[in-house]
Amino acid sequence: MTDDELDQRVRAAVLSEQIDTARLEHSIRARIRRPRAPRRAFVAAAGVVLAAAGGLAAYRTFFRPQVPLICVAAAQDHQREIVNGEPRPWLSDISAIQSLAEKQGVPASAVTALGTTGYRLERARLCFLKKQIFLHLVYTKNNAEYSVYLRRPSGLFNDSVRGEETLAYFETSRVTAVFASHGADALAFARAGARVL
Amino acid sequence: MPHLGSLLRVARRLTVESASAEDLVQETMLLAWRGFHGFQTGTNARAWLFRILFNAFYAEGRKAQRAPLPVATVVEARLQEAVEIREALQALPIEQRTVLLLCVVEGFTCREAGEILNVPIGTVMSRLSRGRQELRGRLAPTRMKAPKAMEAKGAVG
Repeated sequence: MTDDELDQRVRAAVLSEQIDTARLEHSIRARIRRPRAPRRAFVAAAGVVLAAAGGLAAYRTFFRPQVPLICVAAAQDHQREIVNGEPRPWLSDISAIQSLAEKQGVPASAVTALGTTGYRLERARLCFLKKQIFLHLVYTKNNAEYSVYLRRPSGLFNDSVRGEETLAYFETSRVTAVFASHGADALAFARAGARVL
Repeated sequence: MPHLGSLLRVARRLTVESASAEDLVQETMLLAWRGFHGFQTGTNARAWLFRILFNAFYAEGRKAQRAPLPVATVVEARLQEAVEIREALQALPIEQRTVLLLCVVEGFTCREAGEILNVPIGTVMSRLSRGRQELRGRLAPTRMKAPKAMEAKGAVG
């Protein structure tokens, strides 16, 4: 049998099969008219975003990282000594403050560096926060008072500025720093301070 | 809807069951509908549709049918040869079967079949040759000798 003969028989055999396309055509037309369903990938992506948002909200609600206790102590100290004005002995001479800083392992240049950020150094003293000694500096800007607690690097925090508006903290290779205020933007001061310390 | 019958006929020889064939053709037509902007006016629309069909078939990893199609217990004698040929065709490897369907049944040239299947024309020709050869071997010798007599009776078609 030649190729042509074989082809003819194959063609005839296949074409003899009954093909009913009416039902198929009907369902295709129905699907074309139907609004296109959102793509699975889009639905999956939306699901992931929603789950992430939910997870973040839950994390913020239930597992929000605690403010380090040392910062809580700093805020309480600021409340007592600056807001309430409880009497304490203070140094106001810049040379004396720098000398005090050096004795505590805080570079004297750190004290003046903070003064270059638009905040004015008013006074200083030593204080204890959770049994750790800190140099407590008080700066002012626009009639608001800010407490800055410095000590030599202690590994308490990591290097990025953290916290919130009235209580912020960070650590550099030169100092550990906590910034506190009462109704003023301590976080902005901390960010400016992190750039110069 | 043009070419629907041809597409369904080929799909039925590719897929395991007729429902899968209908799904495949339905998917093909929907893809064509959505991708109609990709069709170049003046080119072969039928070949374009078949290319979509085969792309969809391979993309979905559909199982090629190997088992013979069910045959009715009582088959009229005049249709028996057609059934046997379809079964023999169905038993061929899918590459050979596909080329036979496109070139022999649907009338595409080897070049067009190559474009539809995205294979070189030489591959199409060799698959066609091997497919014919294997088909001859699978068909019963009596059937191979009888076609003219059966055709004379209008047995096939």
